[in-house]
Order: sequence, then structure tokens, then C-alpha cells
Amino acid sequence: MADRNPGTDLDLEWISKVRVNTQSVLKRAQHIQGLKVSKNQWQAAWLLKAVTCIDLTTLAGDDTPSNVHRLCVKAIQPLRYDLLKKMDMHDKGITTAAVCVYPSRVADAVRSLRAANSSLPVASVATGFPAGQTPLETRLEEVLLAVRDGATEIDIVINRTLALTGQWEALFRELRQLREACGEAHMKTILATGELGTFTNVYKASMVAMMAGSDFIKTSTGKESVNATYPVAVVMVRAIRDYYLITGHKVGFKPAGGIRTSQESLVWLTLIKEELGNDWLCPHLFRLGASSLLADIERQIYHHVTGQYAAFHELPMA
Amino acid sequence: MARSSAKTVYEIFQSMEYGPASASSVATAQAWLDHHSRSLGLFIDGKFVRPADRRSCSLTASKGDVVCRTVSAEDEDISQCASSADGGYKSWSSLTCSQRSKVLLRLVGVLGLHGQCVSELCELCEASCSLSALVRLLQYYSSWAQLRDSLVSNWAPVGVVVVVTSDDCSLYSLMLKVLPALAMGNSVIVVPGRSAAPPALLLAQLFTTAGLPAGALNVLTGSAVPLGAKVAQGPNVGHVTYSGNKQDGAMLCKATAGMGVPVSVSPCVGATCPFIIFESADINSAVDEAIQTAFKKKKELHWLLCVQESVADSIVARLKLRMAGMKCVSLRSDADRSLVDAAVQEAQQQGATLVQSCAASPPGALYPPTVLCGAAPSSPFVVSPSPGPLLPLMTFRSNSEAVAVGNHSPHGYAASVWTEDLTLALETAKSLSVGSVWVNSSSVLDPCLPVSGHKDSGSCTDGGQEGLYQFLRPSFSSSPCLRSSPVSMDYSKFGTEASQAVIPDSSEPSSSPPSYLQFVGGKACKSVSGCSVAVQAPGGGGVLALCPEGGRKDVRNAVEAAIKVQPGWMKKSPSARAQSLHALAKGLEAKRREMAAAVVTQTGVSLAEAEEEVEQSVARLGVWAAYCDKVQGGSLPMPQSGAALSIPEALGVIGMVLPDRNPLLSMVTLIGAAVATGNAVVVVPSKKRPLPALAFVQVLQSSDLPAGLVNIVTGSRDQLTVALANHSVIKAIWYWGSAEGCQYLQHTCTSPLKTLRLFCQKDEGGKERGTDWTRPDPALLEDLWRNAVQWKSVWIPTA
Repeated sequence: MADRNPGTDLDLEWISKVRVNTQSVLKRAQHIQGLKVSKNQWQAAWLLKAVTCIDLTTLAGDDTPSNVHRLCVKAIQPLRYDLLKKMDMHDKGITTAAVCVYPSRVADAVRSLRAANSSLPVASVATGFPAGQTPLETRLEEVLLAVRDGATEIDIVINRTLALTGQWEALFRELRQLREACGEAHMKTILATGELGTFTNVYKASMVAMMAGSDFIKTSTGKESVNATYPVAVVMVRAIRDYYLITGHKVGFKPAGGIRTSQESLVWLTLIKEELGNDWLCPHLFRLGASSLLADIERQIYHHVTGQYAAFHELPMA
Repeated sequence: MARSSAKTVYEIFQSMEYGPASASSVATAQAWLDHHSRSLGLFIDGKFVRPADRRSCSLTASKGDVVCRTVSAEDEDISQCASSADGGYKSWSSLTCSQRSKVLLRLVGVLGLHGQCVSELCELCEASCSLSALVRLLQYYSSWAQLRDSLVSNWAPVGVVVVVTSDDCSLYSLMLKVLPALAMGNSVIVVPGRSAAPPALLLAQLFTTAGLPAGALNVLTGSAVPLGAKVAQGPNVGHVTYSGNKQDGAMLCKATAGMGVPVSVSPCVGATCPFIIFESADINSAVDEAIQTAFKKKKELHWLLCVQESVADSIVARLKLRMAGMKCVSLRSDADRSLVDAAVQEAQQQGATLVQSCAASPPGALYPPTVLCGAAPSSPFVVSPSPGPLLPLMTFRSNSEAVAVGNHSPHGYAASVWTEDLTLALETAKSLSVGSVWVNSSSVLDPCLPVSGHKDSGSCTDGGQEGLYQFLRPSFSSSPCLRSSPVSMDYSKFGTEASQAVIPDSSEPSSSPPSYLQFVGGKACKSVSGCSVAVQAPGGGGVLALCPEGGRKDVRNAVEAAIKVQPGWMKKSPSARAQSLHALAKGLEAKRREMAAAVVTQTGVSLAEAEEEVEQSVARLGVWAAYCDKVQGGSLPMPQSGAALSIPEALGVIGMVLPDRNPLLSMVTLIGAAVATGNAVVVVPSKKRPLPALAFVQVLQSSDLPAGLVNIVTGSRDQLTVALANHSVIKAIWYWGSAEGCQYLQHTCTSPLKTLRLFCQKDEGGKERGTDWTRPDPALLEDLWRNAVQWKSVWIPTA
């Protein structure tokens, strides 16, 4: 794995210069949505790529060891073996990128994966997910506990109060502390863009998160009213590009929330390819936060391989 | 293709490349072409006509396969078409406004059924025009057809309109001419360029299905410019209008010179446009848009990327990142490839550095998108851009320098301006001398935006209400142009006849005629040559007076003085301009006796009539003073969200050769129209009756108009006409004079293009014809001020 983003000092001058033209971004997003991915093996290959970038997620109040276990096994074998075999992809290590659970379920997930001899990373949301409205001490403690339980990736939420009131320095300091708490675990910073108001704020929050040393920036928790949208993604990936141009560090991007169809996953891949280039099209730098997306992709793959449309019960559940 | 389809899933999984573009189906269009046996006829009188024994030419797509063949129309077809258009005009113009509007709307319905065929055919022929753009054009102009008599009252259609386009012109630009002409009640003969011909024929057929009377829309194919010039000879042709590249436009002007038909030219293809990125811009969006517009496969404009020095490095860095991995753009031919190679090589020799999507460019008619960094305004690849995906990049230091760089070009078609600073955006939009300013966007076309190319980029306005007037004439006037046939004349000999200078006989000071002075740069003065010419008395009874014999140098001095004060005059508030005009009217009133006397001496009318003319002239100046703050643009109803503005701007310096009739009143009317709208003028008084204009010099002298705003140069009319025609600063010429003079001007004023208003007045013996200046007709005045302004549209999209 490439070097992690160590972060930089907070550069407020840079942040204050930021300009985002809303209509241009909307137009750009529309343009990208209009781009077509070719059919046949191209579509299949791109969908497989999408599978390898999925953070297979369950974030519900009724999660128990049994459904977390099912999720982990599905993550290791996301597509039916015979389908992969037909495409000659059965031995290419097709798994999802990670599983993503609440802190209390981290131990269950780690146990299930270890039992299956898998080294798949376990990601945990933390820091008062999804609202982030808890004291910094408890948020730090939450991170430490999740890491202790074996989570190697931590999806933290930013303090929207600080972002909306423009207290970038305070936000930067908080994120710095959280990053320290993560230690070796990778930090994915959720901006909750649906609650940030303007694109300019989204850009600034992205920048602050990257300067504070985030390994990924992530659109949303999936719990806001507006989740991952393409225009917001355009703003965030441009921030990633700008950060790369200035520091030379590549930060990852993770859209999450409301991504359900294979068509959408193709648009996401196109967006990354167009804006950031092929370097970003790998699980180290791109993740899709999703729970039901995988089922739709599997059906599409099934159709590609067999020429038939599958019923849901024909494919193993997660 | 065979190789790429053999790619395995794993290979693609690793490379994450895009697959081959799925070729869109063109089956419907092919079926239509097959139905016509791949050989399209002419569309005359509501049906396809396929005359025997005509040469035909084939349309080949860029891939090299023949799409179809079209007929080359000959004289017989042209005359058949002319009579069809006459009949079409009669039936079409006799319909009511709402009937005409309904036909246009019905075509929208027809396009709903057959739109697939139209868009496929456009794609086949590479005459880009999206279906939605066609529908928008139709809806926009159907409402103008409906409201012509209510919103454009006192105006009537001109008759038969000839629309000519060059081979590289899009169907959209063609329809932007055809539809307003039809909406105003004219019949149209389209002479399309090669690529737009098949879709134009199909649309003509669909129009007939929609209920357009036979003959109202005819399509003649062939070699567009010579064919267009032949069609223009038709006796009922009231207007010839052209869209396409500049060279063919100039050729059409020359070919139609002397026919007595007004010709308007919109060189919408091939202009160089600045793409200005300020440091206050959303740089990522600006870079994206620049890449998208500059490296389009079929681009009609050449862009010049101008970036503020402070952000130049970060823009180049983003360009490098964004352009990496972009696919090569296909060129039209291998010949284009060698042009591109030569241009790039030359640029590199001059120190330009390249930003290219891939270093090793493949052989053949493909080239990678390339940015040429380090361009300067004098670089050859900026001055005469080559085809292909090349984008020169140069830097500027300050906001005002951005405007200076953007304006320092013969072109004035459009500009794209990127900044989040609203004040800067509007200030820049105002100062750029271009027809369209796209703020934070580029290449936005819509029929509600009036577009008149400034400088060398056009001599008419298309789109908007403003664009309707090229297809209308004031309804009180009969056909404004006296049709004539071009005579063979030696253009280099025009206006070079021997000087008629006289030496005043000073032996008898009491009986010698009075000497007048001309008025240049605010000073009454003699001509540069120092010679004088005689003014003959009415009826030829001896010498009335002597006036200076001005020439080329006098015109040059006058233009120099005019261009110095004109920008300041235009920037003045409308009320300040109105005040100056009121003061001028007062000055004229104070000198009413002298002026009336001059009119009597010159024309021989009774004193009462002369006083009446002075009275009317004073009143006319008052009317123009009132117009100063009524000539205005406004906000435009764009379908997208944002703010669209139209702004009337002065043309600059207008040259005038004044009519003989009502010498004082006509002069005051014309000068008033030009000055009220912010122009400066160089006036050549009537050849026959210059005295009132010369007497007016003393009124001008005591006025508070800036020195040089109004200049009066006397002398040989033809010689001064030549001088006006050959001064590039003069943007428009209003000419009353001989048929040869009209022909000369039309032939000569093509580079740079001038807006011409030509009136042939019968000189010797024949009855005087032309405008009745005494009639205060609102359409007469509107016609004048509309010809004294050019429009600028500013588009600021918002979310």
C-alpha cells in the first residue's frame, strides 16, 4: 500500500480562496451521468471492479452476531463461484473491500472473518455516528475501543457544528486528535455533505479533513436526508485532486448512502475515472459504501454470464 | 475492433479502459435516403424535383463513405425556384399571424414523429443540430410569428429571403436564419452548404407535411456561394443572408455587389474567441469547460485560453492532470494533419511548451488534444489558428489587461469569462467588444439571445427580437432597394477621376462666391490638399459657393478624431447625451435664419418651405434627444436558469454619404440617429446640395458635442466614398448615391466587414426617390437607430 496521507498544517489562506461555481458543477455532474460504459465484458469488468471497492455495510439497530456473520461470508465470496469461473475471474481474489459495522459489532466481524481465514479489513463507524453530537472525549474513546477490538479502518463523522459556523481551526484540531487515536487504522472522514449547506463548504471541509490527515473522505453517513449525490462528489474529488497537486499525497474517496443499482455504481466509477484518473480506481483509493448494491451487481453479472435475468432467490443472500 | 472485442474481463478489470463507443443506429435516416435512392433532388414548390441531366455531387462522411448525392441546380431550376418562391410568398404572407404560428408549431408535432430521422440524418451528415435545439427554435419563432403585428407593428416582410450557408455551417445556424424569416411572413430559398443540405431538404419536406404552403420554403443545392449569388438576382428577392465561414461570406458579398439587394453576413464559423480565466474563478470548472469546448470533434470556433498570471501554474497543472489519457480527436483529412504538425512545430520553435494527452501522436488524421503554453498575441498559431485540437494559452496580469488581450483581435464573435466576482464579470462583459459573452459557461446558443458579431464577425443581428428586423422593412416604404444588375466596373478606378478643383478668382472680390470650410476634429478648416471645388446653383446657373476638396487624408484625420472621442461619448449617461442633443437643437434654432437662407440658396425652394425644414430639423433633434435613454436592452427569457441580458452598443464610427433630398432635415435625422446611440460620424454632404451641411458647421462649432464626434468632409463624393470604404475603423457606411457607388461599397467593404445601408438615388434627370424625411414615422426612426447599434448578449447561468 502506498504511503498514507500524513496531513499538513492547516492552511487557512488556501481555504479562504476557494471558489465553487454551483451551476458548472451541476452541469459537469450531468455530463458525467450521460457518459455510457460499453456493454458486454466491459460492463462485467467494471462491475467486478465496483464489487472490489464495496465496503459491505450493515448499520442497523438490530444487528446481531448472526447477520454480521452472514455479511462477512458474503464479503469474502461476493459472487457465485460458478459465475466468476465462467469469466475466468474465480482466482483473481474478488472480494469486497471491507465490511463496515457499528463499534459494538467489530469483535463479531473480526471473529467471523478470522474463522474463515480471511484478512479482509473490518471498518467501524465511530465518533457518535451518525450525528457526531457527543463530547470529544467519548468520541476519542469510541475510536480507541473500536481499534482495540480489531477494526483497521475507522469511519468518523465530522462535527458539523464546527463546519457550519466556520470554525475550521477547531475542526482541524479535533480531526488531528481523532487521527492520532486511530493509530495504524485508516481514518475515513465522513463530511455529511447533505448538512453542509453549500458546495463551497463541502470543498472547505474536504480540504480541512485532508490537511488533518484523513486517508479517505466520505460523502455521507447514509442517515441524512440527502446522501451521496454526483455534484457533491465532483466537488469532493476536485478537492482531492487539488490536495494531490499541492502535497503529492493521494487521498481516497468514498461515496455512501443511497447507492443501490449497478448502473449507479458504473456512474461512480466513471466519475472517478474522469475526474481523478485510473490511479484512483482501486480499493485503496475508492470505496462504495453500500448494503443492497451487491445484490443488484450480482444479478447483472448473472445476466452477462447466462443471458438470463435472475430471480433474487437464485443468488445467495448477504 | 476484432482485437478489442477479444479482450478478456480480467484485462479490462486491470486496465479499466472504456470500451468501444457503441455506434448509434442511423437506420431511419438510411431508410429515408434509400427511399430517395441515395440521390436527393431539389425541393421546389412543395415537392422534390429531380431534373434530368444535372451534375450531382456526393456528400462523404469523415469516415470516407458516401452518404448520398445531391443535385447541382442550374439556371432553369433557379428560375423555377424563383417563381415558386414568389407564389409561396403570396400565399404565406396572406395568412394571418396565428395561422403562420400554427404551422411552425405543427412542425414541432411532426418532429415528434420523425425527429429520430432528422437527428440521425444530422449525425450522418455531420451537420450538428440536436432535436431539442430545433424544437426550441420552432417554439421561439412560432410565438414571434403569432405576435408580429402586435409587437412589431409598422413593419412588413421583405418578400423572398435567400439564406446561404457555407459547407462547414451547422444546421442550427441555418435554421436560425430560416425560421425568423418564415415567422415574419417571408418566403425563403435556402441554398445550404454541403453538410447541411440533406437535413435541410428533409426539414423542408416535413414543413410541407406541417402545412407550410408550397413555395414558402425551397431548397436549392449546389455550390453554395455562386448558386446563392445567382438566386439573389431574382426580382422579388428582398434580402440575402449568410451564415458560415468568413471567406465564403466575403465571396458572396462580392458576387452580389450591384444587385441592389441588401446582404447580411454572420461569419459564425472560424472566429477566434478568448476564454478568460480570472484568479477569482472556480478554476476546476473553468479548466473542465475549456477542455470540453476546445477539443470538441467538430468545433466552429477557435479558442484562445487567457489566464491570469497568478493562477497560470495551477491551471496548467490541472490541464496536465485532466488531459492525461484523453483520446485523440479525428481531423477532417490528412492535409489537416500536416497543418497541425506544422503549427505545433512552429510553436515549439518559438518556445511554446506542450501539454498533450499522449506524447507520441499516432499517424494519420488523428491528433491528441494539445495545449500550447506560452503563446503570445503575435504567435502565428494565435494569429492564424490551424484546424485540429490545439488550444493556445497565454497569460495576463490584470483585469484591464485581460480585456485588452481579448479585444485585440479582428474577431468579435464571442468570449467566455470565468470569475465568481459579479462586478468583475459584468465590467469585463461590458468592455469586451464581442457579440456574446458567456460568463462561467461557453458556447451557449439560444434563439432568444441576440447575437451580432462585432468588428469583423458580422454585419447583422441573429436571434432575439433584434434579429427579426433583417427580415422586415418599415411598412410605409415601398421596396427600399432599387433592383439593378451589376455592371462590369473596374473597382480600382472608382473614385479616381481627375480633381475638379477650381482656383477662386480673386480679381473681383465683390462678385466671387463665398468660401466654406469643412469640419474635422471640432475645427472648421480647409482640406489637406488646400484645393476647393465649386457648388453649382440649382438648375445649373453658375457657381454658388466654393467648398474644400477633401480627400483620403481628410477622412483619415476625421476618423482619428472620431475614434478618440467616441468611447467617451458612449460611456456618457444617456441623459447627458440627450442634453447635448437638446443644446444642439437650440443652437440650430438660434441660427434658423442663416440655415433657412442656406436651404433657399441651395435648393431654390421658397423661404417658407425652407423655414419649415429648419423647424422640422430642430424638432427631429428633440426626438433623438428623447430616444437617448429609450434605446435599451433588457433581460431575456432563457429556458435555463440564470440571467441573460441584451445590451445595445454603438457601432463606433459611422461613415455617411448624405442624400440630396431635404439636405438639412435628412442630415440632421441621420446624424441624430447615430449620435444619440453613442456613435461618432464622418459625414460627406450631398454632392448636389452641400450648402446646408456646411452652414450647419457653425451650429456644430458652438455646440457642446465633443470635438471630433461629428465631422463634415466635403469634396468629390466618389473619392470620399473610396476613402470611407478603405478605413478599417469605420464599422458602417450609410450611403445615398450612384448605383456604381453602391456596387463599389458592397464589393469592397468585406475585409473587415462593414454594415452597409445603400440607397441608389437616381442622379441625373430621373425622378428623385427614397425616404420621405418629413414624415415623422416611428418605423423610419426605429429603422435608423436599429441600424446604428449592435447588440451584445451576456449570459450568466445560475443554479
